[in-house]
Amino acid sequence: MLWLTWRQHRAQILVTGGLLLALGLLLLVSGLRAGAYAAEHAPPGCPGPAAACLEVNTALYEDFYNPVYLVFGLLPFLGSGLIGAFWGAPVLAAEFERGTATLAWTQSVSVGRWLAVKLAVLGAVVVTAALALSAMIGLWLTVFRDALGDRRFHDGVFSMVGVVPAAWWLFAFMLGAAAGTFFRRTLAAMAVTVAVIALTVPVVFFSRDAYAEPDRTVTAEWSALFNGDGKVVGQAWVDPAGRERPDRPSGVCPPPSGVPAQSERAQTLVEECLIGKGYRMAVYHHPPSRFWRFQWTETGILLTAALVLGGLTAVRTLRRRS
Amino acid sequence: MMSLFRSGPPSGEEDDAPFPAGTGLPAEHDPHDPWPGRRAPALETTGLGRRYRGAWALRDCSLAVPAGRVAAVVGPNGAGKTTLLRTAVGLLAPTTGQVRVFGRPAGESPAGIAFLAQGKPLYPGFRVREMLRFGRGLNPRWDEEAARRRLAGLGIPLERRVGSLSGGQRTQVALTLALAKQPDLLVLDEPLADLDPLARHDVMRSLMEAVAETGLSVLLSSHVVSELEGACDWLLVVNGGRVQVSGDIDDLLTGHRVLTGPAEAADALAARLPVISREETGRQATLLVRAAASPPDPRWSSRPAPLEEIVLAYLRSPGLSSLPRPSLTPAR
Repeated sequence: MLWLTWRQHRAQILVTGGLLLALGLLLLVSGLRAGAYAAEHAPPGCPGPAAACLEVNTALYEDFYNPVYLVFGLLPFLGSGLIGAFWGAPVLAAEFERGTATLAWTQSVSVGRWLAVKLAVLGAVVVTAALALSAMIGLWLTVFRDALGDRRFHDGVFSMVGVVPAAWWLFAFMLGAAAGTFFRRTLAAMAVTVAVIALTVPVVFFSRDAYAEPDRTVTAEWSALFNGDGKVVGQAWVDPAGRERPDRPSGVCPPPSGVPAQSERAQTLVEECLIGKGYRMAVYHHPPSRFWRFQWTETGILLTAALVLGGLTAVRTLRRRS
Repeated sequence: MMSLFRSGPPSGEEDDAPFPAGTGLPAEHDPHDPWPGRRAPALETTGLGRRYRGAWALRDCSLAVPAGRVAAVVGPNGAGKTTLLRTAVGLLAPTTGQVRVFGRPAGESPAGIAFLAQGKPLYPGFRVREMLRFGRGLNPRWDEEAARRRLAGLGIPLERRVGSLSGGQRTQVALTLALAKQPDLLVLDEPLADLDPLARHDVMRSLMEAVAETGLSVLLSSHVVSELEGACDWLLVVNGGRVQVSGDIDDLLTGHRVLTGPAEAADALAARLPVISREETGRQATLLVRAAASPPDPRWSSRPAPLEEIVLAYLRSPGLSSLPRPSLTPAR
């Protein structure tokens, strides 16, 4: 059974391995180049949070971090879609489509065992691949930690690091397998898998803030929170009486003269004026210490879904209705 | 040359072999065995029915094919042949009734049954050698040496990709896989359907050789009766989801006659003999009847009925059946 699983799915395994290797090389080169740039251009004590480091920090962000991040930012959707379509969907759909299910299921190995080995072995490979990728991204992020802070909790990065990618990929794999039992055509199962993932990704993305009740911090120095390592959910103004209001109070501080009203400079002046008059900002945020709690929450949700899909696949396959 | 599979029927040491060779006695007491002390039928169904989305593909089907037979399952397309075979190998669960293979519920001992599905599915990207490895890995009773010898005898190179084989070669590879499994029952669904006449002949010959060498039971479906005559010794006619005929082919041949005589005497004859089909041309009537001997009336001339004619006659009269054994029906 092990050999059969390898032989039938070696194309996917090798291509995925090759892609991981390529992405790993990309990350390695990017990390090394960023490190070399920092060593060459950074003033003493940089990169770091000090004001003197602003220039090198910005360069690291713009030239080294962001281009690679834009590629990897697609991974939650693209990676899951590829895994679901090319690993999950063919497991059963291709067997039905070519009629080889009747061949495989009339050997001396029971259908239950056949399915269990296939799902377990391929699922384990998928999880391992995802964990390898997330470990590589995690290592690459450490290069930028001094300059940009710990970004693991940021919206786009969260699903590329830790254990969440493995949960996403396993979910996608099981989704593809389950779609194969319903549609029995590889192409149809692939399309449905990708469509469901395209729906699931934004739903999970936007429900992430609700994994825990956010902390409320009232402060005059909110930029520290916004630029920090936590996850900001929302903000509001608080007037000197302590009442919260969603918009910036108008009429309290007139727009400064001599500066265009819509410019960033004007906004800053108005906000400084408001702070001076006793107004504060209320920031709703998740502190960085919640990173792993969030990781395991999302992993739990996705693993439950994967388990349900796996059970559905088993029930539909074992019902012997082909 | 052709292969030599297993030199005798399955030995009693193998867990999956329901009975030891030749003795006719079960190796151990089997609670499912309906006929303790006798070799259970290769295939036995009772009240078997299978429904797909409200439509019955097979209904109320009760039959028994003795062990050691080569049984032909014939019937028009869509008659339920494939459904019957798939329930026998355990790929389909019955909606009603039961299927037993050598006395055990179908699907319970997959090692003893080999199945060649319609279209002979194989993994197209695999080499022949890899198909053998597939069979070896998934079957404890696998006979690798015989499989290789058989393929060598057929001139099928092990390094060829399955997808590049001809239809006849594909069938032979699929048959090799099925035989190397050393089954007690081999089930083939339309094995000759997409082959040219030469390949049909070769495949049937290979199959018959394997049967002669191993004594395995075979269940073989086709919608062409003529190509099965001479190879099969048991006939199942499936029509409209029901089993119409189940019996020994020799018994069927001796049990049916074609009578030709005056049309005005046909009704009197039909009152005495079960008529399967009746044709009248002018003053002459031709009747296919279930009877072992000619009627004493000298106005009737009688000849033996060919198998194909018998099958067609039953298929044209779906209300008539010949169950369970035509030899037991009154002959006069």
